Amino acid sequence: MKVRRIFYLGGAFLLILLKFALDVIAKNVEFGGIGAVVFREVLVAGSFFLFYALLAPVVGRRDQSPVRKIGLVLILTTVIVLFSVGASALSLQGFDTKALQLSPLDYSTLFVASLMSLLLGAFAVLLYLALRSILLVSNRRGVKRNVFVFTVILLGAAGATVYLRPLDTGLVATILYWLAVLMAILNSFRLPWIIDLTKREKIYSLIYAFLLFVLFTGLNVLISNSETVNRSLLYYSFPLSQFVHIMVMFGNIYFGMAFVSTLFHLPTAEAFDRKRSEVTSLHTLSRLVTQVFDFNELVETVTTMTMDVCEAKSCWLEIIQEEAEGRGALPGALGHAVTIQIAGIKNITQEEIHSLLGPEEGGIRSLALSTVKPVLIDNLSDDERFVHLRKVKTGVASLVVVPLVSHGHPIGLLYATKELEYGFVKDDVDVISAFADQATIAIENSRLIKQSIERERLLREMMLAREMQKKLLPQQLPRFNTVEIDALSTPAFEVGGDYYDFMQLDAENLGIIVGDVSGKGVSAAFYMSEVKGVFLALSPMYRSPREFIVRANEALGTSIDKHSFVSLIYAVLDVQTGALRLARAGHCPMLMITSAGVDYIRPNGIGVGLTERPLFSEVIEERAIQLGNGDVCILYTDGLTEARNAAEEEYGYERLLAVAQESKQQSASAIKEKIIRNVQEFVGGQEANHDDLTLVVVKWRGNGHLPGSDIL
Amino acid sequence: MSDFKIALRERETVNVLELKGYLDAHTAPKLEEAFQNLLKNARFNIVVNCRDLSYISSAGLGVFMAFIEDVRKNKGDIKLTNMTPKVYNVFDLLGFPLLYEILPDEQEAVRKFSERMK
Repeated sequence: MKVRRIFYLGGAFLLILLKFALDVIAKNVEFGGIGAVVFREVLVAGSFFLFYALLAPVVGRRDQSPVRKIGLVLILTTVIVLFSVGASALSLQGFDTKALQLSPLDYSTLFVASLMSLLLGAFAVLLYLALRSILLVSNRRGVKRNVFVFTVILLGAAGATVYLRPLDTGLVATILYWLAVLMAILNSFRLPWIIDLTKREKIYSLIYAFLLFVLFTGLNVLISNSETVNRSLLYYSFPLSQFVHIMVMFGNIYFGMAFVSTLFHLPTAEAFDRKRSEVTSLHTLSRLVTQVFDFNELVETVTTMTMDVCEAKSCWLEIIQEEAEGRGALPGALGHAVTIQIAGIKNITQEEIHSLLGPEEGGIRSLALSTVKPVLIDNLSDDERFVHLRKVKTGVASLVVVPLVSHGHPIGLLYATKELEYGFVKDDVDVISAFADQATIAIENSRLIKQSIERERLLREMMLAREMQKKLLPQQLPRFNTVEIDALSTPAFEVGGDYYDFMQLDAENLGIIVGDVSGKGVSAAFYMSEVKGVFLALSPMYRSPREFIVRANEALGTSIDKHSFVSLIYAVLDVQTGALRLARAGHCPMLMITSAGVDYIRPNGIGVGLTERPLFSEVIEERAIQLGNGDVCILYTDGLTEARNAAEEEYGYERLLAVAQESKQQSASAIKEKIIRNVQEFVGGQEANHDDLTLVVVKWRGNGHLPGSDIL
Repeated sequence: MSDFKIALRERETVNVLELKGYLDAHTAPKLEEAFQNLLKNARFNIVVNCRDLSYISSAGLGVFMAFIEDVRKNKGDIKLTNMTPKVYNVFDLLGFPLLYEILPDEQEAVRKFSERMK
């Protein structure tokens, strides 16, 4: 890169020196011929081409602001004009003009002419590059084509003068000159960069363009009318002179147009700036909304942008938080309590806000909340709606409130104030509304995220609880030669209140318990684990089922709240003899299949936790039953009998009895499966269980000591 | 899913709650609220007519447990009447008939209250 530049610079310098040497020789020695003329022009063209190649990558860059480029052009033009004026003020001997040729009368004329031509030529090349890069900013095809055509004609017009003597006028050259000017005019209508300027830039651009127009007009006059400048150029090289003339003309026209155009755009500059900042702000905001989950940052951004775009005095956002409808709350019993959180406050204090908005009833806030529409107050001290606020001195004259609306409900309010009456126009209300919409999305997003995190957490907790509760149920069923046992328990939700368990009380006695805590879900699950604790602790101490249940009522009664209770059924089976003792505390009766038939066994009893001791222990009854070979005891919870189908019918005791009857010959596991399948068929495609469901099947296989079975 | 309605009537000195539909964990708070309102207004003679009650779950039963103590402390009572056999069976399984007066007819419950007043 560097090497190439040095090559360009050195080459140009060499060509210029060569040309200068030739000019010096030509002053002393007459040598003519078209060949000599063409050779000199080749040298000039070559030197400027190298100069062009040197500068093109630097000046041609498009990423610079056009105003900056114009500023640079202005500096250069000023220098050139000053130099040209200075040069034309020099008293030089001038040129001999015989035979339409120009020959310098002395060396200083020759030197000044050469220097001035080089400078003007270099300036013209720079101008060409600068204007081209400004024009090509828009990157449109038509523009590119016009610039190309102009360049071709420009070079053509210069080239057409090669064969002319300096003071000649050639038809082709003149025609091409005017064509180039025409193209310059056409290109001068391309001023798209002006629209995009900010107001400040437009003012600069206006001044620059005006100065440039004046300077170029002066330069135009100089190069055409100042004998020194005009003839110097013609003497040095006619094509260069033509090139410089056209470029100066182009500059003159272009900056004239630029001046007029900027002048016309100036009145709308402010509106344009505003629109642009609106669009930019909204764009930034919508990107923030989707990317940033920091709620406070978003609120800050919303109010800051509202301030900037509307040039408001103060601004803030109010977020309406409805008190969470707790799960424990009675539906419809409570109205929604509402709290208002003020956030993103800009240039106002909480106290000022309170005195500004007035009382809850009939204040500005309540109006915005009730109408769910933007409220515009043009003149606070003269507004019919807020007569009572007139006397409050707040320094605020006009105010806009826009509600943040989500699904038809206000979830917040965005405020902006100004010190002037009628400070907000319709556009402002629209912009603030747009900001409010973005804020709504942000608030909704952040709430949804919070909710989903919370839900995720609860779900995990519940899954944990479910795993924990599963461990409270028997991991293994007891195995005996004399008894077949199978069991199943499924909660309606993640956790439930059903409980079943077995306890080997001693070598002979097996305790079998099934229980159901009132209610469902987490509270039931807590009591269920308590029941397990009571079972583990008390069953080895009280071998009589009746005694156990009475003691369990004492133990649980104090810790269970008054609208909860536990139903229990407890059997103690002698695995040696098949003697079964049964007590029931408000639980579903035991279903028994014997060779004699199928029936429910229902000893008297009251649910645990329903009442205090005297009555309770009086009521609890214990039954003793001798199991015969093949007899089956079925214990279950009401989730089984109360399973409902789509028609809201219950499975009921009759169906259970019937299916038990059918399956009495089968194994305990087969009976269990059959009952569950039967219930599932009855319930049909219903989703989950309505209630927790537990089933324990016990089948006696021992060779009963007593023949047959007997209910005592 | 399930529907539950309560109607409140006054008969002489007695307040009659008529229950209709499914009384379970979802609908129990409605009945709780109704009892709370009665107690707040010092109405302790309460008859619950279960004629149109088609289902009651353990959570529904719990509502009666929650208020009976307060009501009886204030010399009132909760009497249950007109149960369908199915609903009665649920109460019966738990031993409710030993703790509450469950009568076949509302008229009789009202009469019992007024007799006691004399």
